[in-house]
Amino acid sequence: MKCVRCLHDTAAKFTEAPDGSGAWEVYGCSRCNFTWRNTEEQEVINPELRDKNFQFTGEPEDLQILVPVPPLKK
Amino acid sequence: MVYRDLRSFLTKLEDAGQLVRIKDSILPEPTIREIGRAATDLPNGPAVIMDNIKGMKGMQVALNVHGSWANCALMMGLDKNTTVRDQFFTFLDAWDKYPGEIKNIDSAKAPCHEVVIKDNINLFESIPLFRINKWDAACFLSKACVVTKDPDDPDNFDTQNVGTYRMQVLGKDTVCIQALGFHDIARHITHAEEQNKPLPIAICLGNDPVLTFMASTPINYDLSEYKYAAAINGIPMELTKALNSNLDIPANAEYVLEGEILPRVRVPEGPFGEFPGSYSGMRLQSIFKVKTITHRKNPIFENLFMGRPWTEIDYLMGLNTCVPLYKQLKETMPEVVAVNAMYQHGLTAIIATSNRFGGYAKSVAFRLASTPHGISYCKNIILVDADVDPFNLEEVMWSLSVRVRADKDVIVIPNTPGMPLDPTSFPAGMGNKFIIDATQPTAPDGLLRDTRLIDNPDSKGFEKIIADLQAAAQKK
Ligand SMILES: [Zn+2]
Repeated sequence: MKCVRCLHDTAAKFTEAPDGSGAWEVYGCSRCNFTWRNTEEQEVINPELRDKNFQFTGEPEDLQILVPVPPLKK
Repeated sequence: MVYRDLRSFLTKLEDAGQLVRIKDSILPEPTIREIGRAATDLPNGPAVIMDNIKGMKGMQVALNVHGSWANCALMMGLDKNTTVRDQFFTFLDAWDKYPGEIKNIDSAKAPCHEVVIKDNINLFESIPLFRINKWDAACFLSKACVVTKDPDDPDNFDTQNVGTYRMQVLGKDTVCIQALGFHDIARHITHAEEQNKPLPIAICLGNDPVLTFMASTPINYDLSEYKYAAAINGIPMELTKALNSNLDIPANAEYVLEGEILPRVRVPEGPFGEFPGSYSGMRLQSIFKVKTITHRKNPIFENLFMGRPWTEIDYLMGLNTCVPLYKQLKETMPEVVAVNAMYQHGLTAIIATSNRFGGYAKSVAFRLASTPHGISYCKNIILVDADVDPFNLEEVMWSLSVRVRADKDVIVIPNTPGMPLDPTSFPAGMGNKFIIDATQPTAPDGLLRDTRLIDNPDSKGFEKIIADLQAAAQKK
């Protein structure tokens, strides 16, 4: 299914309410790592209503790395 | 200061009227964040426990445990009305008792191992997770004690690190952790990655309040947070061994997530509403897989709500930012009297110092800017005289008003290290130092007219008498 943040078809449901009440389900995106619950505010989980500043339109590999991977030691 | 665990502190808070329980049925979002904001905005705001969250009935969330000066005073064994200045000096005395004692508890008897889950790990089934701020990328763990060891020095207890780092829950058993270059954990990750080895990690949630406090205190790399917590609590720190590694973990933690940081892997993390009161951007960060979850019976998930300052994190990181900076300054500059670095982890700091000779206060600022924490964090540095209480902002403003002449007392040092989460740090990691010397000039500096200050009368005795009379008057 479509991720509400990066809009790629890389999201899936991965869990639901643990008390068996069916109160909610949780979805996650394997590309940008956004997760959401289906009971959250519409402006958080509806891509049409989300603040454009918090959408992800780039490529994951272009993001900055804060702790660089060091060279291997022999 | 005798809290073996989170529970005993919650009992103390409840007895002192500093803990409330919300029994109404609530949605995890947005209600938990609304409750977190409200609790911290109230004067002397209480801790809040919620146990009726939709879909997670019976599971408990605790917020705002450190979220007021009253709660911080109780953590230090003081009366809840103790002033911030007195809390600072109490903490300072306890700090000097380092190292405290460690007591090892048999793993099978440790409360944190009462329930062990090794199969079908699902963090959402075990922990009542919630999205803290609206535009956070996911549910975050914002108040955990994260334990790692240096893989190049695995038997060294003191370089074992206990720190607070934000962690983003990615899936049922995967979590991403934010490490910044200057964090102790970054050193451990780098050493493991040089050998292409996974790094064992333990995430301990819901700890005694002093351990949580010490985990967010900037101390030297080779000093033990556990021994500090024991010194400040005044009782031995009870530790036990993790089930899958050689890590030492708090025996009385509510939850422990054990796993391994995958070597040489980075994944997208963030944004997350951070301590400066703004969202940090998305970055690539390390990821770990949770292999075991252990917890106490009826565990309490303690997390931290962070919003526009002030919120709980400002209390949590207030005095523990001040004290190490004070200690480091005092080593070489005994003239320093007190340090208030409570503003956004020391981005702004106020130092009270005597002026040994003309210009000396500025040297104190340079010293602050070269302490391990001050290098990147302390960017706005205000110097006030020894007789000014740096925790009393009215007195600080008085000093600025009558002792500063900008052409000689204000300096900006451009292009120094900066704190990447500070929105003015650009490019992230670069900044400047802004120094205001609001002390009285001392010879040979003499650019202030001869000034005679009004002496304060000896009023301490009457403070108590009037406060007691007022308390009695308020009861009527
Ligand atoms: Zn996505």
